[in-house]
Amino acid sequence: MASSSRAATKPLLRAQLFSRPANGHVSFIPQVRKVVIEFCDSWASSANTRTFMNNHLEEVARANPHVEFAVQQRSQKEPIARGFYLNNRDKVIPLNGFEVNGIAKKIQLLLDSSGAKIKPLKRRAVESTTESARGIWSGLHVDETFKI
Amino acid sequence: MGHAQKRLASTAARLASSVHASSLKSFPPKEALAGPSASSKTKTPSSLAVKPNFFAADTWAALQPPTKAALSTFTHRIGLATTITSPDVVQQACTHPTFIPLFERHNPKDPVPASNANLSALGNSLLGLFATEFVNATFPHLPTRVMKAAVSAYVGPTTCSHIATEMGAQSLLRWNRTSNTPTRPAVLHADAMASIPRALTAAVYQQHSLLSARKFVHKFFLSREVDLRSMIKFRDPKLALRETVSKFGREKPVSRLLKETGRFSLSPVYVVGVFSGADELGEGFGSSLKMAEFRAAEDALLRLYLTRQPPHLVQLPSSTFSSGVGDVFTASGTAIAPYTPGEIADSEVLYGSAGRTGTQVPGARTLAMSESAADIQ
Repeated sequence: MASSSRAATKPLLRAQLFSRPANGHVSFIPQVRKVVIEFCDSWASSANTRTFMNNHLEEVARANPHVEFAVQQRSQKEPIARGFYLNNRDKVIPLNGFEVNGIAKKIQLLLDSSGAKIKPLKRRAVESTTESARGIWSGLHVDETFKI
Repeated sequence: MGHAQKRLASTAARLASSVHASSLKSFPPKEALAGPSASSKTKTPSSLAVKPNFFAADTWAALQPPTKAALSTFTHRIGLATTITSPDVVQQACTHPTFIPLFERHNPKDPVPASNANLSALGNSLLGLFATEFVNATFPHLPTRVMKAAVSAYVGPTTCSHIATEMGAQSLLRWNRTSNTPTRPAVLHADAMASIPRALTAAVYQQHSLLSARKFVHKFFLSREVDLRSMIKFRDPKLALRETVSKFGREKPVSRLLKETGRFSLSPVYVVGVFSGADELGEGFGSSLKMAEFRAAEDALLRLYLTRQPPHLVQLPSSTFSSGVGDVFTASGTAIAPYTPGEIADSEVLYGSAGRTGTQVPGARTLAMSESAADIQ
């Protein structure tokens, strides 16, 4: 004689169900959105950056059509490269002191990064979304139990 | 963070990423600059009275169209550069219909931009189609409610809004927050974002073919991880197992204690297996005999429901369409893959059906077996 009828089990609210991302499993969405190179027109520290921009930036931009490239003036300051990522973070790399191929390497670093904060991996335990392939050991499922 | 702070943070992120000064004719915009016009040389008393300047920065930013570079890079990022060649289609896919009244209010003389209302509706249907056939072909014995929940998890509104954010469409979306009215529900940021992947699916279908749209959906939606195990819930797995086993025409399930340890201690462990004749259907552990038996019945049913067809053997009904360019009515060519429909599974049991006398109806397999037994006799 229940006055309120209850569902047999806890109901699932379908509009709230969602799936977890698996970037890279089938398709890969590159995480870098935009790279901005800020340089000074006059200072010598930006000379290599200006050379890179004049000679190599176009081919880098053509090789990465998924990234917006922009240049901006940053007068009387050291040159920087700023990368914007899909997680709304940005990475800033100063470009003074590098040769032209060093600057190319730093731009490539920005293009390869995911934008996530750099976490030290030495002491972290491995976390996985998939269960273990061989299963977790059970002392009751061996041939001779209680024998170590 | 409270609701107001979250709104502020999301508005700030939106404003910061959408507009770049290089894409504007003049920045700051003329309407933002306060004060009387500089050309008036004689200061008459009437012109000294400062006109009030109503300029809302967030409204101005919301009205700016996305740059061509942003649209092009977005199209390349999702791998549709060769399929969708026009940035206008992508811009249309990223314009929610709530944006149109806002645009008309502030730019009454300009032509109204196209919205993604129709594309979103078409894309939603396509997503439902592809997700349902995929889930049904991959998990043929899944109960109906779980299959529907799985489809919602794969292509539902929450997932669509997550996918749009992960693609980087947040800076391209043009929309306007609208509150609840008697005729239509409220439109929040997640609803507007969710319309983008749907519209993109429809755009792929329109620009190319149904099978290209299917490939797009499999790539972005159906490759994601969904935990089906957590969606299958049991009230009485022993009863469900008894009914399921009888539908398959097998012997009644019997639970047997396989291993035990610590029976009278603080932490006993029992391992119980549930058997149909000599075949073990499932195994469960627990700190009490009842708990272990419950888990064994659960395990047996999960092994049946989560039976998965290997990906290389999955046959989808939509493979009977051809891969020619055009919609399903005009595309020419033959089917890209063979399709043999699977037997309709009879393994589903229903709890507490109202209106029945409580009699258990034998399933198709049991009937077939009894028929063949009668034939032999």
